[in-house]
Amino acid sequence: MTKPIKKSIKSAIALSAVAVLGLAGCAESSSEPLVIGSQAYYSNEIVAEVYAQVLEDAGYSVDRQFALGQRDVYVPALLAGEIDIFPEYTGNLLQYFDPEATATAEEDVYQALQAALPAGLTALALSGASDQDSYNVTSDFAMKNSLTSIGDLAGVTGIRLGGAPELAERPYGPTGLLSSYGVTVEFEATGDTTVESLVAGLIDMANVYSADPRIQQLGLVTLTDPQGLFLSSNLVPIASDAVNQEARDLISAVSSAMTAADLVALNVRSVDEQLSSAVIARDWLLSKGLID
Amino acid sequence: MEWAAKNFDFVLELSVTHLLISLVPLVLGSVLAFALVRLTPLKLAGTIGTTFSAIYAIPSLAVFVALPAVIGTSYLGPTNVVIALSIYVAAAMFFSIRDAFSQVSKPTVFIARAQGLSPLQLFVHVELPLAIPGLIAGLRVAAASTVSMASIGAIVGVRNLGYLFLDGFQRKIPEEILTGLFAIFIIGIALDLGLWALGKVLTPWTRRSAQRV
Amino acid sequence: MFSIGELFDWLTDAENWTGRYGLANLFVEHLTLTLVSLAIAGLLAIPIGVAIGQSGRGETLVIAISSASRAIPTMGLMFALVMFMGVEFRQFAVVLALVGIAIPPVLAGAYAGIKSIPIVIREGARAQGMTTLQQIRHVGLPLSASSIAGGFKIAYLQVVSTVVLAPLVGLGGLGFGVIQGLALRDFAQLTGSAVVIVLLSITGERLLAKAQGKLDRRLTQSKINR
Repeated sequence: MTKPIKKSIKSAIALSAVAVLGLAGCAESSSEPLVIGSQAYYSNEIVAEVYAQVLEDAGYSVDRQFALGQRDVYVPALLAGEIDIFPEYTGNLLQYFDPEATATAEEDVYQALQAALPAGLTALALSGASDQDSYNVTSDFAMKNSLTSIGDLAGVTGIRLGGAPELAERPYGPTGLLSSYGVTVEFEATGDTTVESLVAGLIDMANVYSADPRIQQLGLVTLTDPQGLFLSSNLVPIASDAVNQEARDLISAVSSAMTAADLVALNVRSVDEQLSSAVIARDWLLSKGLID
Repeated sequence: MEWAAKNFDFVLELSVTHLLISLVPLVLGSVLAFALVRLTPLKLAGTIGTTFSAIYAIPSLAVFVALPAVIGTSYLGPTNVVIALSIYVAAAMFFSIRDAFSQVSKPTVFIARAQGLSPLQLFVHVELPLAIPGLIAGLRVAAASTVSMASIGAIVGVRNLGYLFLDGFQRKIPEEILTGLFAIFIIGIALDLGLWALGKVLTPWTRRSAQRV
Repeated sequence: MFSIGELFDWLTDAENWTGRYGLANLFVEHLTLTLVSLAIAGLLAIPIGVAIGQSGRGETLVIAISSASRAIPTMGLMFALVMFMGVEFRQFAVVLALVGIAIPPVLAGAYAGIKSIPIVIREGARAQGMTTLQQIRHVGLPLSASSIAGGFKIAYLQVVSTVVLAPLVGLGGLGFGVIQGLALRDFAQLTGSAVVIVLLSITGERLLAKAQGKLDRRLTQSKINR
């Protein structure tokens, strides 16, 4: 490209960027709403919606920035101060900030996370609900190979592990399986078709979130993890410094109130009753008497 | 139908976002393309053309994701998607605008000039009106592809109708996906009809001559 | 943040080219999905386009289909098809979606090619006593070949960029590096994969444009000779 064009393209891009930013700027109200983010994961979005509604009920104005992809996508935005509140999972977030983390028990992970969080971010009250990565097989496959723990796979050859594309690079992915359990797997990026692929026999083992209702509905067997390949991962709200104490207390209260059974039940409503996250969140808050 | 009925307001909200995220790039991209066509010397037109066809070959998803890192825009919000779509629109409209103006018949331009019209008058009263059918045709093509491409922005967190595809696929609700497809299709058709009507309004002489026949 | 050097290192690292999700394998998958879909689209769209151009019936339908189809988001179409057909048949579902995208431009190319043949030539062929099939084989197809190649050129670009989304439904192709790179925020992988995709689409587009030019030249030359 010759220089003048490059220049004119650059300035044109800059111009349109300014125009867009100007438009976006107009939309913002003067009273600085609290920005609540969520992952591109329906269950996470329900929890974010719970936080949003409890804050709105207390008179805060809230800006919902939902479905922001995976951790590697939104954490930079969180660090840049573009998001104020995010529902997170202790183990996975700890592993994000400290890939060498050794804590595996619930409380230890929570402590380690608080230490590992960069300045400006705080972990609020831990929830009893956990939703973590887990390795699952069909009951037939478990029976045939007499599997209960991940380690039982060590003698089985040709295991195809399915999960999101990024699982290939995660510490608990193929490399972790080999180093912790001596299990060799062939990785298949099955994305959002992971559970169906397992049922259809396209893969032998699937990475499924432990609160996914389909584990029970389809009778999948979750392999135990005695070596702590997966860090225990409970729901925890992450807040930026922009969130005042009153708002923190409100969110901490709903976080503590949410039990493991609650979270699964919320997920079931989402996939079975096909309700929107707003409706599911509202019903739950009402049933717990957290809003009226 | 049940899902769509239960979530009607939400779908409507997503549709409005979707429409805005398609319309803003259509305007910005066309203005950018117009400026490039009119302001760059003829010698460079070929280079710009090649650059634009190369840009068209870059997958949109890669552009959406890479923009904040490359030009330092915010990670959140529709800015990245709007900028990326504007560039695609500019790439498509560059060619349609160039062709639309080059198809204005030369004798007409010469006569107008001989009648003493200033360059601005010539542009406003002769060239622009005569180029409108070509411009509208180009815009219709650009609008349809922008509306469908915008849905990919959902992967980077822009809540438009593309969200229904990702969320519906995750929750295994076929109806949610179908609702998204239908809504985008409707927006596409509406924009197309709107542009078609705009073209008719802006070129009243084509209707008159048709009536005469 | 990210530099050209990193991109270069990533692209020249042999490790990124080998294995199940290495660039070499992903490239082959990408190209295979593209070519298979284009071939099927050609088999379906060329006869229909030629028939419509030859008979002059159904023209409004062609125009309506080709403009309406642009507004159909391929991501949604792909998801819907995979869900309805089942994950076992995801290859077929994705190819079906791709064929759906490729048909309109090829159809339009074939139709426009036939339409652009001067009426004198078409009527001349008929006057010589050629059957409809002979007219298509000896006059219609050769004279519209360049326009059909033009249709394939547009279809190719659209299909190559849509295959990028295949990893979302558990298939491979070069989009894997874009989607994994997005999740891991690995910009070297992301841009490296994008560079290979761009090269694939530009090279293919150039080849098809060249073919189109060649067919065009043959056409004008044969006219002069006659």
